[in-house]
Amino acid sequence: MTRRILNHKILGPKKHHIVPFIWNGRTYYGAEGESITAALLANDIRTLRYHESDGAPRGLYCNIGHCSECRVTVDGRRNVRACLTPLQKNMHVDRQGALPHLVKGGGANDSL
Amino acid sequence: MTHYDVIIVGAGPAGMSAANILKDKKSVLIVDEYYHYGGRLLGQLYEESKDSWWNGMDVARRLHDGLDEKITLRLETSVFNVDRNDGAFTVYTNKGNFTSDYLIVATGAKENSYPLPGWELPGVMTVGAAQVLTNFHRVAPGDAGVIIGINPLSMVIGMELGYADIDVRKICLPAENKFNKVTPRDALETLMGLGTSAPSKFLSISADIGSRMSMLHGLALKLFPSKGIKALGLPISIKEKVVKINGAEKVESVTTVKTRADGSVIKGTEQDIKCDFVCISDGLSPVSEITSLFNLKHAYLESLGGYVPIHSEQMETEIDKLYVAGNITGIENAKVAILQGEMAAHHLLGNEDAVKITLKRIGDERKNAKVKFHKDLDQARDKLQLYWLAK
Repeated sequence: MTRRILNHKILGPKKHHIVPFIWNGRTYYGAEGESITAALLANDIRTLRYHESDGAPRGLYCNIGHCSECRVTVDGRRNVRACLTPLQKNMHVDRQGALPHLVKGGGANDSL
Repeated sequence: MTHYDVIIVGAGPAGMSAANILKDKKSVLIVDEYYHYGGRLLGQLYEESKDSWWNGMDVARRLHDGLDEKITLRLETSVFNVDRNDGAFTVYTNKGNFTSDYLIVATGAKENSYPLPGWELPGVMTVGAAQVLTNFHRVAPGDAGVIIGINPLSMVIGMELGYADIDVRKICLPAENKFNKVTPRDALETLMGLGTSAPSKFLSISADIGSRMSMLHGLALKLFPSKGIKALGLPISIKEKVVKINGAEKVESVTTVKTRADGSVIKGTEQDIKCDFVCISDGLSPVSEITSLFNLKHAYLESLGGYVPIHSEQMETEIDKLYVAGNITGIENAKVAILQGEMAAHHLLGNEDAVKITLKRIGDERKNAKVKFHKDLDQARDKLQLYWLAK
């Protein structure tokens, strides 16, 4: 389980303004202005994407925009880096999945 | 296209400190990809000396507060190209293009990783990701974690997880493979090399280890307990390696093996450690894509973290009016980055007295640095100066 660190020994308390957002069609709650990765993790959601090629689950990795592992669809826009995107009220965030392999020999699933 | 006297890429310690010097004399634009200023100051938290804390978030706020309305700060703005025509720089971003007379590149650093079986599972992240989650977002990366990689960064962040009551079950090394070559000897040198000027907590690690075993590496390595030691509340194990990370949809455990002093695996010592997150940490390397676009000469210096653009002590590059500052010039602490930003700005303004003073302050800060990222930093800086003079 993950949790919000509301009281920190050294940094003290932190207040959040909690707003609703939509993840894969369901309503969740997160802190307005925090990154989408943080909002999802606080809801114990780690799988942000299924890999385009083999469908394996993927989550946040570097959390500061370098690795692009956390790409999601935000309000209909694909491949947005969740870690660089602040959460807004009623934002629609969707998980992306495996893509069809149109060319034989072009992807890992062809051998299955 | 809006024109500025100076464009700064990166709103971290180096970029913001440069802007603070320039703000009254030049029109300045700072761009940064993140949605909050501060760069990797966000998340930094360690005890410099007894009861005196370095809180990166406070430092970032102070630097930002100094900027007033005098400069333009554009966040969520990613630079994807730069060029220079007729003496003016053009900076191409996802929010439009901008031109300037001067360009300061302060893009910072990125984290290196150890590839291991299972490292792509959700719940595996860089140690910096865990730091930002814990201290900036204030969302725990999990209940219990394992840190793979023994270096100053991984140990500082291991302690920071503890401040937030997150259980760190083990800090150890990655198994050897095509990419990972780190040995128990390397880890011991890191622990011993943290230095006499390290923060009080660090000092206690080296003192602790030093009191128990000889400084002679061969002997110390043999004597280092195979179950690891507990220092700073962290279970540090230099003779234990993670061979794989396990889990179906997310991290559930790691499998470790014990090794001998030379790093060779002791058969039959496999053990599973339950955890819900894993941090991988192989140090930092400079982010130099933008300077690479200018075809500047870059030098590979391991103790600076990788490829750095050749630059002078005054932060000039081979291209007139193009400056660098901060971790793009080599991995050092945020105080050095702040001074480097000031240095670039003073030189840009032609303020020779301030340049001299800042040069001395950078030297002093390096000498007294609480966290040294690499023991051979000074030699690498000297080498870089030779490259600059010989360019």
